[in-house]
Amino acid sequence: MLKTTPFHERTAALCASYAWRRWAGYVVASSYELSHEREYHAIRGSAALFDVSPLYKYRVRGKDAARLLDLVVTRSIHELKVGQVAYTPWCDAAGKVLDDGTVARLAENDFRITAAEPNLRWLQDNAMELEVEIEDVSESLAALSLQGPASRAVLGDIELKYFRLAHRQLGGIPVAISRTGYTGDLGYEIWVSPEDALALWDYLIEAGTPYGIVPAGMLALDMARIEAGLMLIEVDYVPAHKALIDSQTSSPYELDLGWTVNLKKERFVGREALALEASRGPQWQFVGLEIDWPSLESLYAEVGLATRLPAAAWRTSVPIYAGNEQAGYATSGGWSPLLKKYIALAHLRSRYTAPGTQLDIEVTVEHRRKRAAARVVKKPFFDPERKRA
Amino acid sequence: MPKHDAIVIGGGHNGLVCAAYLARAGRKVLVLERRERIGGAAVTEEVFPGFRFSVFSYVVSLLRPEIIRELELPRHGLHILPLESTLTPLPGGDYLAQWNDHDQNRRELARHSLRDAEAYDEFGLMLHQMARAVKPLLAMAPPDPASLSLRELGGLGRLGRYFRSLSKAHFNRLMKLLTMSSADFLDEWFETEALKATKSASGIIGTLAGPRSPGTAYVLLHHYMGELDGVFRAWGFARGGNGSVSAAIAAAARAAGAEIRCSAPVQNVVLRRGSARGVVLENGEEIEAKLVVSGADPRRTFLQLVGEKHLPAEFIESIRRFRFRGASAKVNLALGELPDLTCLPGRGPHLRGAISISPSVAYLERAYDDAKYGEPSREPYMDIVIPSLLDPQMAPPGKHVMSIFVQYAPYQVNGGWTDARRETLGETVVNTLSQYAPNLKKAILYRQVLTPADIERTVGLTEGNIFQGELTLQQMFFLRPVPAWAKYRTPLAGLYQCGAGTHPGGGVMGASGRNAALQILGRA
Amino acid sequence: MNRAIIIGGGVDALVAAQVLTRAGREVMVIESESAEPDDGWVPPWVLRELRIDDLHLEWPDPWLVIPLPDGGRLELWRDMARSAESIRRLSPRDAEHWPAFCERMARLARFLEAVYAAAPPDPLSPGFALRARRLGRQGLADLLRLLPMPVADLLDDWFETDALKGALGAAGILHLLQGPRSGGTAFRLLHHHISCPPGVFRPPRSNIRGLLRRLPRVELQGTEVLHILVRAGAVAGVVLKDGRELAAPVVVSSADPRRNLLELVEPGWLDPELARALRHVRRRGVAARLRLELDRSPGFSALALAPSLDYLERAYDDAKHGRLSRQPYVEVRCDERHRVEAVVQYTPYGVDCRDLSEKVIALLAEHWGDAQPQQAELSAPHELEKFEGWPEGQPHHAELALDQALWMRPLPELAHYRTPIEGLWLCGPAMHPGAGIAGASGLNCAHAILGR
Repeated sequence: MLKTTPFHERTAALCASYAWRRWAGYVVASSYELSHEREYHAIRGSAALFDVSPLYKYRVRGKDAARLLDLVVTRSIHELKVGQVAYTPWCDAAGKVLDDGTVARLAENDFRITAAEPNLRWLQDNAMELEVEIEDVSESLAALSLQGPASRAVLGDIELKYFRLAHRQLGGIPVAISRTGYTGDLGYEIWVSPEDALALWDYLIEAGTPYGIVPAGMLALDMARIEAGLMLIEVDYVPAHKALIDSQTSSPYELDLGWTVNLKKERFVGREALALEASRGPQWQFVGLEIDWPSLESLYAEVGLATRLPAAAWRTSVPIYAGNEQAGYATSGGWSPLLKKYIALAHLRSRYTAPGTQLDIEVTVEHRRKRAAARVVKKPFFDPERKRA
Repeated sequence: MPKHDAIVIGGGHNGLVCAAYLARAGRKVLVLERRERIGGAAVTEEVFPGFRFSVFSYVVSLLRPEIIRELELPRHGLHILPLESTLTPLPGGDYLAQWNDHDQNRRELARHSLRDAEAYDEFGLMLHQMARAVKPLLAMAPPDPASLSLRELGGLGRLGRYFRSLSKAHFNRLMKLLTMSSADFLDEWFETEALKATKSASGIIGTLAGPRSPGTAYVLLHHYMGELDGVFRAWGFARGGNGSVSAAIAAAARAAGAEIRCSAPVQNVVLRRGSARGVVLENGEEIEAKLVVSGADPRRTFLQLVGEKHLPAEFIESIRRFRFRGASAKVNLALGELPDLTCLPGRGPHLRGAISISPSVAYLERAYDDAKYGEPSREPYMDIVIPSLLDPQMAPPGKHVMSIFVQYAPYQVNGGWTDARRETLGETVVNTLSQYAPNLKKAILYRQVLTPADIERTVGLTEGNIFQGELTLQQMFFLRPVPAWAKYRTPLAGLYQCGAGTHPGGGVMGASGRNAALQILGRA
Repeated sequence: MNRAIIIGGGVDALVAAQVLTRAGREVMVIESESAEPDDGWVPPWVLRELRIDDLHLEWPDPWLVIPLPDGGRLELWRDMARSAESIRRLSPRDAEHWPAFCERMARLARFLEAVYAAAPPDPLSPGFALRARRLGRQGLADLLRLLPMPVADLLDDWFETDALKGALGAAGILHLLQGPRSGGTAFRLLHHHISCPPGVFRPPRSNIRGLLRRLPRVELQGTEVLHILVRAGAVAGVVLKDGRELAAPVVVSSADPRRNLLELVEPGWLDPELARALRHVRRRGVAARLRLELDRSPGFSALALAPSLDYLERAYDDAKHGRLSRQPYVEVRCDERHRVEAVVQYTPYGVDCRDLSEKVIALLAEHWGDAQPQQAELSAPHELEKFEGWPEGQPHHAELALDQALWMRPLPELAHYRTPIEGLWLCGPAMHPGAGIAGASGLNCAHAILGR
């Protein structure tokens, strides 16, 4: 049997599509309605509510808590203020990314780190000689993500800066709210004890209904995160501990996360390898691609069809070419209903990554492999001011 | 001119594989099997009316994929059904299950240890890499490390280059794996006793050694080497029992023109001017052939079928030192109903997988302690499957067969194996198992107990060793069975070996038979 | 700066100190007062380098006495023929095999000795393969077969006398949490045979302690190191227990590698995977040490209570399950002043050792006639850890098992004396060849530092 989240009683009742998927051993809704379209538009137009309880969460406490996190992750943690949150990857000694997540400083010596993969063993092994206590709170902390332009209003016009965290009460329920998310929009993540989960859900639905809140599933989220240029583990990169061969691994530089690597820190896992890579420059980079509409249209026109677009975001590896050479591969992509563009996230050899570089992407048109023109563009594809404002 | 190009002594799976490859290359091959049926230790027999058992070997996983492919075994009737899980019942009423599904498995392991649940994936990845590193060696005829011939030096050079081609980290890990004990090796990964014990049990299967004895980690890897449909680590059950594996290989051999004769025990190999020229059967019939391939184990081949006077003294000394020490027994039960496990009552999916009685490493070591001093384990390690749940034709409707691999039951038991000892062993097995499945005793309709002595007598495996010789580092690769004679050849021209007593040996693998055939055909 | 700091006062540390001093380094040795260099075998190539030519090796003769159940004794002498005579009383067949066995073991030990004279070999190098092939067909086959073998199997191949097999088998398990039926123990028989002439299977005593004291002085600091300082991935010096900080670009440590890299160095400098591997280096002490004085000669100078392989195996069975051996293997030496030192195995780390002293004395009393013991002092493994600096009471710092030997000693990543921290070097019993081959790892380490 798969696990269900603390919100399952509510989400199951709403899941008219019966479309579920697995996430970290839990079942979560792919979409609630028969099509995920309305859920997607809620993210960009009103407010969407996601159950993100399956995230792995660890509480790190003690005298050396900041020291441990500074040893593990690439960003500088001791500089983080109480109530501040930082997004960061962490690496193995070869400087290859193991996972990425957020670190929140709850108190001077008290942190919470979220992760996409189990990381208890890695944290413990790095903490062996330190005074720090690590607790896996994945199951003792439920989480909802409220995203979209109306999300602030739903939370009663809460004042919380981008990447900050505060402890509040919502309808009398004690919660922690962080201004974070996976949509690239204005949004919040709300952390709650599992006993209060259903009450919190009910509260938010009630408070959100006047603002058009819509419970949303993973399909809508997937498209939004691509628009935001946010990568997904095991889709856009293989965590180093799961790679069968070295070439499957990626460094933060290769994932466009160079800004998270603080080489001024005297030591952290992977520092030596990353310093070397920083001086040489990465061989690969992770970029945005925009597929040229006329080019795509003409491929379909050749066989007498109108252009067909993917109904949802795809997550397969697709070759990208520069002339006859393979420049790299795209790992996620889809039609952005908001931008009216066909976009993709791709790993390209560094020489092909200048914005504006013209490339080709493989598309299968009526059972035949063709190439459509594509152009390297800056990420994120969609970056509204309200995200940070 | 002899009528046959080659005679293969023994219709076990390796003999049949060898015969099939020789026949496919156009050779006229005759397989001579002592028993009334082919298969050696891979047989299915209706031991009790309506109840069919894989009497000796009982699962498939090590059978080389290239053999399945090249001999087109599925076309000849091979159908492998997946074994989905391993359940380790624990004395306190709890259990540890390992499931095929990643999430289900992780969740179950996390119940025992979050760290172990995390380590499990990396452990699997590491073993996958190690199995990949060792795989090319399985199909290799080991070169002679002391020879000065160009051919052998070339072979050694290739071997060296292969190892150098591995990453340093992989090479080092492989070296550790070769030299460590499975318990120490697993200690580096896990903390849950039942998990370590169940995994380390694959390191002791068939060998008179405990999980703490160095050298057992490699055997663990050896058991991980099984590839089913390209998936490492998967175990399966042959539809119709393991006899159907032999039958499929035999069908492939016959289709290629090989002749297979049962009830044709070989008395000895006929030698003329130092070369093997055929065999004499126990009934006096002499059959000539250009060459003879023995699928029997090294001791039987050289000391019985050939005779020591025809062989160099050091060679004979080495053969005498080749160790067998069978350590396992088999108990086959016909059941009127399914066992009801205290830890997981009812007919759940766990019964479709393996059930492993291996609650802790200390339990396995205690079981070994008894055997060291010549006694069967008072509480043995057991690996149990219920094939009738996967393949209903194995038992009458509603009834079941249970196959129990039992260790340790040393061949050299104090006072020797007697009927009384055999029955005591059967009782020990049933009593031990009843602690976990209280309804077992009343469910048993019939019981078959096979001691190492029975295994030796029935299928001719010396001392009942299921690998035709201990699978230990000092009896492996270049050294299997004897240094300088690890390439399936023997000091006698025209006489070859193709049994599991040669590299890589062990399990229903078939690699020895295939490698031997390729050597004979000059293609390796 | 030209300074090199050496941590530890064992033979390896002192040898490294000497070699570096002679190469013109300013050497400081830091050792705690209690440590005393042992007095065992030092290989000739180390002595040559230190220009010591008067090392005196001493074996008792007979080198071992094994009491027999019927009250008799099996005596093994330096003279092979004389041993054979003693064996013949028990088994003419074994007596006949003795010289051939001794010769074959000596040949393999010579090979190992040559391997030990340098940094660990690359097992895949053609040079190593060629050297092994020079053993010839039989020697090579013996080597390949013997290394991974249980010492019990090796001895069963050759002999039938329980006492003889017990005496030899004990050499395969001394200071190891394995029994004679465990794989890899035959290799240890060879390892400890290196220091011996053919036919002798116990290491000698020597006057190395005195000789080392005679060598040119290096600056000695009678204190302990609290931390090894690391800056930007390179060693910067050490902090002493008394608070002093000594700067140095080179630090050589003969402390056990786990303690060294995980406790003395601040966390975070090592690859977590390497740290994990270090934590799994096995270093379990299994023997207690009993020292006492007798008022007269006990009638032997070296005695082993190891009547059979089964006896040893049963002693191990207890230890394997975390208990004191009910019937321990005891190896005793007595000097000319009747000072007795006994190794009592298996005494797992942390077990209750009350009454063990009395028990062992009672076992031994049967063999020393009327002699009366005085001042008996038993040190359990945790006491040896405290007083001798042996981690978990393990004198080899890392158990000598095949997977922790040669190019894997103590870990493949550390086998070449170098650590991932620039300027921090390792020597001592945990480093190749280590484990009773005193001085060799110190020499190899110093050579590596000097780039020789």
